[in-house]
Amino acid sequence: MNSLSTYLIISALLFSMGLMGILQRRNLIGMLISVELLLNAANLNFMAFNRFLAPDPVIGQIIALFVMGLAAAEAAIGLSIILALYRKMHSINIERAQRLKG
Amino acid sequence: MGALFHDPILLAIVLGTNLPFLSMAVILLFTRSNPKLSSQISVGAILVSAVSAIYLLAKLHCASPLQYQTLWFSSDKLLIAFGYYLDPLSLLMLTIVGVIACLVQIYSLGYMAGDPGYSRYYAFQSLFAWAMLNMVIAGSMLQLFIYWEMVGLASYFLIGFYYEKWSASQAGKKAFVMNRVGDVGFFLGLIWLVIGFGNLGIPELNHAAATQGLPQHVLTVAALLIFCGVIGKSAQFPLLTWLPDAMEGPTPVSALLHSATMVAAGVYMFSRIFPFFSASPDAMAVALAIGTITMLLSGTMAMVTYDLKQVWAYSTVSQLGMMVMALAAGGYFAGVFHLTTHAGFKALLFLCSGIFIHEFHTNDMRIIGKKGGRRLKIPMACIAVGALALSGVFPFSGFFSKEAILGVLAAQPNKIWLAAALLGAVMTAYYSFRLIFHLLFPKDGIEEKQHEEHGHSSHGHEEDHHGYIFWAMAIPVMILAGVSLVLGFVEHPIEHFLIGHIVEAHPVAHGAEHGGGEWLMIMGVSAGLLGIAVAWFEFGRKGASRKGFLSYFPAVWKLFDRRWFLDIFYRKSLDTFVYGGLTSLFTKNDRRVIDGGIDGICFFTEGSGRLFSFLQSGMLQYNLLMMVLAAGVAVLYLLF
Repeated sequence: MNSLSTYLIISALLFSMGLMGILQRRNLIGMLISVELLLNAANLNFMAFNRFLAPDPVIGQIIALFVMGLAAAEAAIGLSIILALYRKMHSINIERAQRLKG
Repeated sequence: MGALFHDPILLAIVLGTNLPFLSMAVILLFTRSNPKLSSQISVGAILVSAVSAIYLLAKLHCASPLQYQTLWFSSDKLLIAFGYYLDPLSLLMLTIVGVIACLVQIYSLGYMAGDPGYSRYYAFQSLFAWAMLNMVIAGSMLQLFIYWEMVGLASYFLIGFYYEKWSASQAGKKAFVMNRVGDVGFFLGLIWLVIGFGNLGIPELNHAAATQGLPQHVLTVAALLIFCGVIGKSAQFPLLTWLPDAMEGPTPVSALLHSATMVAAGVYMFSRIFPFFSASPDAMAVALAIGTITMLLSGTMAMVTYDLKQVWAYSTVSQLGMMVMALAAGGYFAGVFHLTTHAGFKALLFLCSGIFIHEFHTNDMRIIGKKGGRRLKIPMACIAVGALALSGVFPFSGFFSKEAILGVLAAQPNKIWLAAALLGAVMTAYYSFRLIFHLLFPKDGIEEKQHEEHGHSSHGHEEDHHGYIFWAMAIPVMILAGVSLVLGFVEHPIEHFLIGHIVEAHPVAHGAEHGGGEWLMIMGVSAGLLGIAVAWFEFGRKGASRKGFLSYFPAVWKLFDRRWFLDIFYRKSLDTFVYGGLTSLFTKNDRRVIDGGIDGICFFTEGSGRLFSFLQSGMLQYNLLMMVLAAGVAVLYLLF
């Protein structure tokens, strides 16, 4: 049970759920959450590979920390874009944002 | 820094030349709203300058040339030094500039009193003095050029001082632009020198061995190009019309501009590198011709104008032509000495005219005469002294310097130059005394009553008016009159002082100066007296017509009065060649090529953007789906 493939499968599941969410949800907040899922899937992969294949330098963990920081920044920017869009369109539906096409 | 305080000479130089700049900065930054304090700061600074100039002259008058310099920058083999060079010429000029600028600023205390731009005036006066003082003691031609431009800038500010007046701002611009034309030549000459000679130091340029090593054509081109600067600055023939227009500035400015600073700069520069110029006979011949043309042309212009200041302005141009003639004929001392005496008496003439103009609020000599100009006894006497000096009458300073110039010209093989100079001397005496007699003996006597009534209401109680303002103006005038009286008698000490050093550097330079003799002196004086006599016959004696013989020839009168149509010629050629040809080409280039090109790029970018926007649905998730699918295809391709 405690083997690399278990973690990889979990990570693949997480990634698929995230991908599904980002492609299917019309709610921008939902899309943002899905992006977090994608990032976490990647994080899990990093941790698993680090744990099972190359345990000595903890690069995988460090990268995971970086990804977390990145995710925080991305969430902040994404939320502010969503807020700006909401002020303009009075909606957070992605289909409304089609009007930006010009 | 330590050396500055241990060496009194260096201290005097640095303080004397840079305090005016400091005072300008202080006035412009802090004391603009306090005119009185501003003028005190400025006058104080220039007093220090004058005193230190005199101190330097006294201290160094028999020492060998003194040089302070540091390397400013170097590029390949070219070394440009920045420093001070003190030889007899620069010491003499430093003293002239310091003293005259000082007197003019004191005079301005009275003349400019109550002017709304009083502080600004003093700031610019300080700037002017600073630039000129630094130009005089510059150690290299590049440094000289920098301050030369500063002098031009300061004179632009001062000529256009009454900038609300259209003609004044135009005159300032004209002076600036016409100077620029000459300065372009000057700068090209400097570049030419750098390429051909590789050094711009003044002592190096003046060294005989150095210039002899150069090919003659390089030397001639360099000398002619640099002479363009003299033409612009000293208002020589093709570029002479800016100087009469420069009269739009306040009168003390004209006095300074015409005597010790602006226009003197050109002649000073000519004599500064005189040995260099005299190494090129062709350039000297051109300079001689230009000086002569200038002298005669402007002399004729002065004979017809009724404007007090214009007469002196044309006369300055004419005298500058004479200095250039003297220098170009090889008379180093004669030219410099005439520059010296001219600085004294021309400042005197302008300052005296300033008193009249201040009093009567007009520039027209006929009106001033009619309103009782001769009742102002001090300026009247002083202006007469100045006119006598200008006409070259014995014991006044002009006599001695004109004799020196005539002597130099007489030694020339071609006597036409001498004849031209004598003709110029006749004209000079004629127009100066035309003015004097207009002031002294106005046509229909003095209008007694009318003026008295006017006088009390506004400004001019002549007799009881001898207050602070009058004396502030009268004292500098009297000092200058005294200088004009005695300066001639120190001719030989000055000659010894100036020539003593230059002989070693360039023995050819002054061989011509001991020509002449009694007959020359007689001719010189009689030329002056002839001019005065003609003026007396036409304007002075009882029942004189007061028209001038030129009025019988209306065409000639018009020609002289319109300045030989030089201005109209410039206007026309500007309109056809510059505005009609060059400028319109540039405008078309700007509109069609540059603007059109940018517009085309914008149009193309916008159009292609519109075209490609049809490919976009604008739906974020479709894009993402495409990305995922593409990535999936790529993965499949890589795996199998």
